[in-house]
Amino acid sequence: MEMVKTTLFVLALTASSAWGKDFSLTIGNPVAVALPDGVVKKKDAGMAVRVENCADVANAQVTATAEGIVNGARRSVAVRLVAATTPGAFAVSHDWPLEGAWVVHLTGHCGASTASAVVPFGPNGFIRESSKFFPRAATAAEVEAVLKTLSGGAQ
Amino acid sequence: MIQDEKPPLVKAPDAIWRSIEAALDATPERRPTNLCAAWQWAAASLVVVGAISWFAFKPAAPAWQVSRLEGSAAVDKIKVGEWLQTDSNSRARITVGDIGVVDVEPNTRIRLVAASPTEHRLTLARGEISATVSAPPRLFLVDTPASTAVDLGCAYKIKTDESGDGVLRVTSGWVSLEWKGRESLVPAGANCRTRPGTGPGTPYFEDASEALQQALAAFDFAKGGDESLRILLSQARVRDTLSLWHVLSRVEPRDRVRVVDRMVELVPLPAGVSREKALQLDPATLKSWREELAWKW
Repeated sequence: MEMVKTTLFVLALTASSAWGKDFSLTIGNPVAVALPDGVVKKKDAGMAVRVENCADVANAQVTATAEGIVNGARRSVAVRLVAATTPGAFAVSHDWPLEGAWVVHLTGHCGASTASAVVPFGPNGFIRESSKFFPRAATAAEVEAVLKTLSGGAQ
Repeated sequence: MIQDEKPPLVKAPDAIWRSIEAALDATPERRPTNLCAAWQWAAASLVVVGAISWFAFKPAAPAWQVSRLEGSAAVDKIKVGEWLQTDSNSRARITVGDIGVVDVEPNTRIRLVAASPTEHRLTLARGEISATVSAPPRLFLVDTPASTAVDLGCAYKIKTDESGDGVLRVTSGWVSLEWKGRESLVPAGANCRTRPGTGPGTPYFEDASEALQQALAAFDFAKGGDESLRILLSQARVRDTLSLWHVLSRVEPRDRVRVVDRMVELVPLPAGVSREKALQLDPATLKSWREELAWKW
């Protein structure tokens, strides 16, 4: 009985430790993820994303849209996420046009927790240094602010 | 006048019946011989007809389509074993089966080596090509004088000069540069130099400092020694762990600790990666570490 109590205590401690950190999103080079059918789709991937500090990582969800300005016109494009072999990791498909200025708005859910990221893209791929991460859903104004900075305030 | 008059019936001599019966008895013994000969003739005829048909309709050697992008195009296809050469004013596009395209830049000499379902292989003798391929890993390969570029699902440019020196620039996905057991993994946004006799150098991101790039060149190809390693370690950013991860396996054993310490300083050692095993260059440990570091690249 004492052993069961000890085990439960350790498990509770471990769980509280995991929950103690904020749920968040991490972005990376597409080569960071292995896709179920090999790496063939990596050519089309703009980047990779994974959830962090999620107790139920198998059921974590991430959605993405590309927000851009093309020839002065504001555009929004749905972005496909390809689940990687590692639960909670995804390849972000480069589904937006090459012309114009674009940011990718990622939103992740883990149980009741939400986190988001706004990632600008340049000619050579995503720009980590200019990316913004939030421990909640990003507001429309926050997405527009990153896009405005990327496009040089041309919006 | 024709008369309908029947001739008188006459009995045949016994000798005739005997000769007929003898002939009938002998016939079954000769039949198999004739039949066998007929089959032999038929089989021989089939072989001859088959051979003629094969020569007449044999499948053409695998070939890829070639189209002109700029200048003049002397050919519209390239077959296995053939060379394609562009002059200073010409560019061409090779359609690589149904998996992608290769753009051939001016002053380039390239040969189609294999075009089978399991291997699509070119040799780049000199010049520059841009490849965009969507295929299973290791299906598309380009040999150069200093290494083989193995496609792992990617788009890239590779060039090589008259002396065999070359450089690879990956624009999406990643490429493995291989030569005699030495391997460099080059992800999108990174470059890698190659030299005959040495093979692929250490990959580096295009936005790495000029000092780091020069130190890598000295380390890889000019026996830069301790000074180049010192510059490398001091110049490396988080993203340059790509280069340091490769350098770890290429330094003298006594220098591995310096490299690991700098890498851990830039990115904490992830869970499940043992420092001791990394110093021993344990392949599984190095692979796990690389996969985790890639999130910072």
